Amino acid sequence: MQNYYPKSGRVILHVDMNSYYASVEVANDPSLQGKPLVIAGNEKERRGIIVTCSYEARAFGIRATMPLWEAKKRCPHLIIRKPNHELYRKTAYQIFEIMAEFSPILQPVSIDEAYIDISNCSHLGTPIEISEKIQTALLERLKLPCSIGIAPNRFLAKTASDMKKPLGITVLRKREVPTILWPRKVEEMHGIGIKTAEKLNEISIYTIGDLAKANEYLLKQKIGNYALVLKERANGIDEREVDPNAILEFKSIGNSTTLPNDVSEESHLIETLKLLSDKVAMRLKRKNAVAVTLQIMIKYANRKMVTRSKKLFNPIQDPQELLHEAVDLFMKNWSGDPVRLLGVTAHEVINKSDAFKQLNIFNYEQDIKDEPIVNVVEKINAKYGGNIISKGIRSDVKDEKQMLYEFLKSKMEINEN
Amino acid sequence: MQFSIQKDYLVRSVQEVMKAVSSRTTIPILTGIKLVVTDDGVILTGSDSDISIQSFIPKEEAGDEIVEIKSTGSVVLQAKYFSEIVKKLPKNTVDIEVGENLLTKIKSGKSEFNLNGLNAEDYPHLPKLEEHQTIKVRGDLLRNIIKQTVYAVSSSENRPILTGVNWKITNNELICTATDSHRLSQRKSVVQSDFNLDGYNANIVIPGKSLNELSKIIDDMEEMIDVVITDNQVLFRTKHIQFFSRLLEGNYPDTTKLIPTDMKTIIQVNSRELLQAIDRASLLAREGNNNVVKLEIIDSNTVEITSNSPEIGKVTDEVVCNKIEGEELKISFSAKYMLDTLRVSEGSDVEISFTGAMRPFVITNTNDNSILQLVLPVRTY
Repeated sequence: MQNYYPKSGRVILHVDMNSYYASVEVANDPSLQGKPLVIAGNEKERRGIIVTCSYEARAFGIRATMPLWEAKKRCPHLIIRKPNHELYRKTAYQIFEIMAEFSPILQPVSIDEAYIDISNCSHLGTPIEISEKIQTALLERLKLPCSIGIAPNRFLAKTASDMKKPLGITVLRKREVPTILWPRKVEEMHGIGIKTAEKLNEISIYTIGDLAKANEYLLKQKIGNYALVLKERANGIDEREVDPNAILEFKSIGNSTTLPNDVSEESHLIETLKLLSDKVAMRLKRKNAVAVTLQIMIKYANRKMVTRSKKLFNPIQDPQELLHEAVDLFMKNWSGDPVRLLGVTAHEVINKSDAFKQLNIFNYEQDIKDEPIVNVVEKINAKYGGNIISKGIRSDVKDEKQMLYEFLKSKMEINEN
Repeated sequence: MQFSIQKDYLVRSVQEVMKAVSSRTTIPILTGIKLVVTDDGVILTGSDSDISIQSFIPKEEAGDEIVEIKSTGSVVLQAKYFSEIVKKLPKNTVDIEVGENLLTKIKSGKSEFNLNGLNAEDYPHLPKLEEHQTIKVRGDLLRNIIKQTVYAVSSSENRPILTGVNWKITNNELICTATDSHRLSQRKSVVQSDFNLDGYNANIVIPGKSLNELSKIIDDMEEMIDVVITDNQVLFRTKHIQFFSRLLEGNYPDTTKLIPTDMKTIIQVNSRELLQAIDRASLLAREGNNNVVKLEIIDSNTVEITSNSPEIGKVTDEVVCNKIEGEELKISFSAKYMLDTLRVSEGSDVEISFTGAMRPFVITNTNDNSILQLVLPVRTY
């Protein structure tokens, strides 16, 4: 079995769920099986954009990000479902649990995809056998299809998983890079967006092969340091580890929302900021964390986007304090023009136990209502050494289930925008 | 208007009034310096409408002629250019003459500048203060009072009143208080007057910025400075300078109740030694959260100063105290606030009185009870 594994080097799987939201809906309602289905927001609230569509809907030429009205034109008997994010999150959690049965070196990177390092899993079979087992487990236990890429690193695994959909298993070896990857256009490469592709085209780089052989100096001048990473990838090199702890690291927590229609009424916008601040506060509290910097995002009706942030005097978590700062930032930066989207983000999120609060002479009494408890805790810890006890606050920062949930939630919000 | 003047006097006066001139003003003429020539001498004025400074150059001083007046008159000259010009003129004497259309000729030796002037009539009038009772404070005392209090004013406009220093005069006692709500400084002193100050009362808030500028132009330390207080202005007057400042509106919070009295731990220590230890500890704290250092009593006469920034490293320092009394103590505070506080003591011995790890602590000078400072600690969440 060991023969199927490289002597030095890794075997990485990239598991990508096929049209995830639609598949979850079908799994939960078998009557949808085999029918053209799309998941889209409320048409009246201008969120009528297709988030995901089933393969049956794709047959009609329907694609994600297409407006609902256009999709209906192409397929009048189209079935439309509103997104049920809570269900997708719960399901994602089950998916990752199944994957973790195969290898603990698992890194979810979004709600519907993950990398798994199976370099030390020869006891479970060949990489292809393991992939088949994962695919079957997900299909039988959750009724969800996925495509899996097998490769020596993350970039190639991700590229491979994209090659056959749905229910594909594709092996991509490094030696195949020149024949398989290089003839493709640069914009087809993971990590290259339209803008980067345009810039590359300007310096006569059209294919991944061109990029692999490109002059580093020229690349760096045109695109910056990131270009060197891209060149490595084009050569099939990617040293990134599959890091199960990546989801534990949160640098920021934010919520944003697209307004049902363009709003220029101050009270309505402040009300929206309140909802967002409450959400951010709740997530901070769940993580037992505080925000050091607060940022707001305003997207105007003309799609112009403004973000402004502020370093807070004291780190905060309280919804009222978050709202106060958010409104302060908003009022200082809002042009008065109609707003399409608002966002509130806590940056430099730190563990509450690492944070200090500078007491205020006019109200410190309120801040130290728990002084007698703290004093007792101090005395006991001093007597027995170390931190024998701490105050009765939640200390579940490292609760992985919670972190995964938070992670999935944060990914979901990105999808929503 | 035409006169000749000794350059040094002109340069000094221009620099004094420049302290009030701001390039960011809503009244365009205030970007200029007003020159008025009378039979007695030259008066220069600069203002940003919050602060106004007037500097007088007498015709003669101690028998020496400083200004030779050929004709009286007035003009406003662009402060930015005028101040640079006079500084760089080549000779010791400067001739200034206002010609047609207020074109002003500034001549020294072989160099000649012609600067477009503005009409002095358009320059705002300085406030006219009614002088009922004038208080007198010695220059060096005034400068000390300012230095010892103004560091604690708030730099945030959240509570504008806290950006100023509260001056409260009762009879002949002046109590100056400043706080940004995280630390406080209070300085008591005695003022004089040609009048009987019994029953005299004043309670004003002077912007911190005004006091900072004022302390820069008090140079004669022994000179008595007149202080004239009205409802919305205060005037500081020396022999040659009049310094007007707008007062902050609103009631200054009553801070007397905020100063704790039930002390649990008292340490006596040399302020410089403690300051240096905290300064070293803050080297690593600066990058981290809030610049926090921890002070802990470790034996009968030693405190330990520590700081820990997980990503950078740790620092431990010890300071031997003159005396430690009372309960054990472990307290964390902002290094910056404590350094600002200890700098005021200029190396003398201080007494620090604590009332608990999460309560304000009081710093007083062992040999001088005129200053009382207070710092609020930080707490963990």
